Amino acid sequence: MILRILNFVVIGALVLAAAYVYRIKYEATVQAEHLAKLRDQVRQERDKIAALRARWGELDDPARIQDLAKRFLKLQPVAPTQFETLDHLPDQPPEYMRPGSKDPIGGMIEHLEVPVEVTGSIPQGAAPPQTPDKTTAPPAAAPAQSGTGSE
Amino acid sequence: MSAIAEPIAEPIAEPLPVEPAEPWLRRFKRVMLYGRNVDRGAKARARVGLAIIGFVVVYGIIALRLVLFGIVSESRTPQRIIVDDAVATARPDILDRNGEILATDVRVPSLYAEPRRIIDVDEAVELLTAALPDLDPSELRTRLSSKRGFVWLKRDITPEQQKEIYRQGLPGIGFLKENKRDYPNGPEVSHLIGHVNIDNQGIAGIEKWLDGHGLAALHMAGLATDRLQNPVVLAADLRVQHALRDELVQARDHFHAIAAAGVVLNVNTGEIVAMVSEPDYDPNDPRQAIEPSRINRLTTGVYEMGSTFKAFTVAMALDSGKITLNSSFDARMPLRMGRFLIHDFEPEHRFLSVPEIFYYSSNIGAARIALSLGTGAQQAFLKKMGQLDRLRTELPESAEPILPRRWSDLTTATIAFGHGLSVAPLQAVMGVAAIMNGGYLIPPTFLKRTPEEAEQLRKRVISQRTSLMMRYLMRLNVEKGTARKADVPGYYIGGKTGTADKVVGGRYSKTKVLTDFMAIMPADHPRYLLLIMLDEPKATPETHGFTTSGWNAVPTGAKVVARIAPLLGIEPRMDLPPADQLILASLKESR
Repeated sequence: MILRILNFVVIGALVLAAAYVYRIKYEATVQAEHLAKLRDQVRQERDKIAALRARWGELDDPARIQDLAKRFLKLQPVAPTQFETLDHLPDQPPEYMRPGSKDPIGGMIEHLEVPVEVTGSIPQGAAPPQTPDKTTAPPAAAPAQSGTGSE
Repeated sequence: MSAIAEPIAEPIAEPLPVEPAEPWLRRFKRVMLYGRNVDRGAKARARVGLAIIGFVVVYGIIALRLVLFGIVSESRTPQRIIVDDAVATARPDILDRNGEILATDVRVPSLYAEPRRIIDVDEAVELLTAALPDLDPSELRTRLSSKRGFVWLKRDITPEQQKEIYRQGLPGIGFLKENKRDYPNGPEVSHLIGHVNIDNQGIAGIEKWLDGHGLAALHMAGLATDRLQNPVVLAADLRVQHALRDELVQARDHFHAIAAAGVVLNVNTGEIVAMVSEPDYDPNDPRQAIEPSRINRLTTGVYEMGSTFKAFTVAMALDSGKITLNSSFDARMPLRMGRFLIHDFEPEHRFLSVPEIFYYSSNIGAARIALSLGTGAQQAFLKKMGQLDRLRTELPESAEPILPRRWSDLTTATIAFGHGLSVAPLQAVMGVAAIMNGGYLIPPTFLKRTPEEAEQLRKRVISQRTSLMMRYLMRLNVEKGTARKADVPGYYIGGKTGTADKVVGGRYSKTKVLTDFMAIMPADHPRYLLLIMLDEPKATPETHGFTTSGWNAVPTGAKVVARIAPLLGIEPRMDLPPADQLILASLKESR
């Protein structure tokens, strides 16, 4: 009797296991198909990206840019005198305008100091820029340190 | 009672095991079929056992097969897709040092036919030639009429053409997507990266080097089919490369030279930041590369470098310790060596100090320096500087230097000013870089290299002090000497010019010259070395009839420096003191 019940139980388990394995297998197949599809998609996308990058490389070719710049822009190659580093910049100018003041331009004119700033782009022998009114310039506003040639 | 009971009990106590009587018919059958004394029960059990074993074996095999199918089928399918689709194998991208694409793979459709499946050859030929006018109809006909299973009709067609042919609906005609190498910058980087053949195998330049370094093996194994490979990053900077090439093309046209070449080398790491050899070719159309005029003159050609070699002579002299910057040599008269006379181009007719020999570019002086040190010292020094052996870089193309057959005193004297020894220009660049960078010989490379890696590879060849003195001389040459036109303000360039008479028919030509210019920037702490080389430049009105380096290679070099220095991150510094103060002073401090 016991044996018979056991037999039925085993048969039942077998059927269940078979069904379960079938389901797993089926799902795996679906997943594999999905994966293959995605892989293919990724490959296609990569190919497209590669094509676009190649195209970008063509468009970004310095020879082409130079040609276009010559035709359409009035730019000149940068001269060595036009470079300046950050440490050679003069100090931040004093605040001309208090926040909330009613007459910002007037305030600016009032506080106008005339610092004579020489940057590296001006050769050292060159005359300093003309100061509009030397009388109002306080003596403290001495010319900023020349930045170049000092090292 | 008992006696009575006895006989009664008798029949009961006689339960003799009486076989139930077998029906006679059944007994008859049994005897007839199995024999008289066979135990049927045992036999049946054995049979059942046999059947069980049989079933277990059969089901076992079935189960095993199922498992095998389950494993194998999955791994097989995707592989087949790739093999079908990628005939020409994939290559890694090549990028410049800033990540700009120099070479990449694009997928292009290619047209093929399966002639056995074509029904109407005439119709197919007609329609295909309509879509692709450059196909030859008769050749197409013979191909389609063949009995082969597969023929290529045209590699690399446009998507529009593909669409058109697809719409024609011809049986037996199909497309495969293939990897095709694309060089978006065309001729800009041609000699540097080389090119590939139709099956995407590298046949020149870095492309060939890639194949030699594992890629070919991957191809053989059929693994290099997808673009999952790391890109190769070169040392080259596309912007610098373009600026150099642009100026060289202009110079070549302007001076009507047969060829122009240039290199920009990072002297501290040995990285080749730009390399141009004009005329070059478009790697997208590799047929041009076969023309002999388009060789890479910097690695494949060997040249007598002319006066730039005086840098080696003077460096050797200063490094030996026997000659100082204050030594002077007799340059009053042309130097007679047997039946040869060594002249100066612009004779000074007096004793010249070592710096004067360098910046007046005195052949007599250089020859006397070399002779005073001897042939052996010169050979040993040039060997140490890598000028006597073939220079090997990543590029497969390289040339052996042409050494004099007999290294006589005359040879020593001529080699001192750059005649009689032909080297690949890149080799000379490597040597001069070693003189400039503090005395370390670093093998040049086309791949990106960090300063630490360079430190591992470098080899000290001259002392730091000699290097410092040479920097001074190079700068002095720009301030006072033959390279005055190279003084771009702000970059503190130093340089040495060279003009070599070309050998035509075994004799030095009077008119045909090769001019070169080696520039370092900045001269006080060199970072980059620039070589400009012009092959047979002609005199123009501006050069007043001169064809020497100072009139053509030097101005070209100046233009190149002005363009590339900002790209290389060299900060312009205005109003620097002359070399006497800036470089020579630091030399005295270091003493």
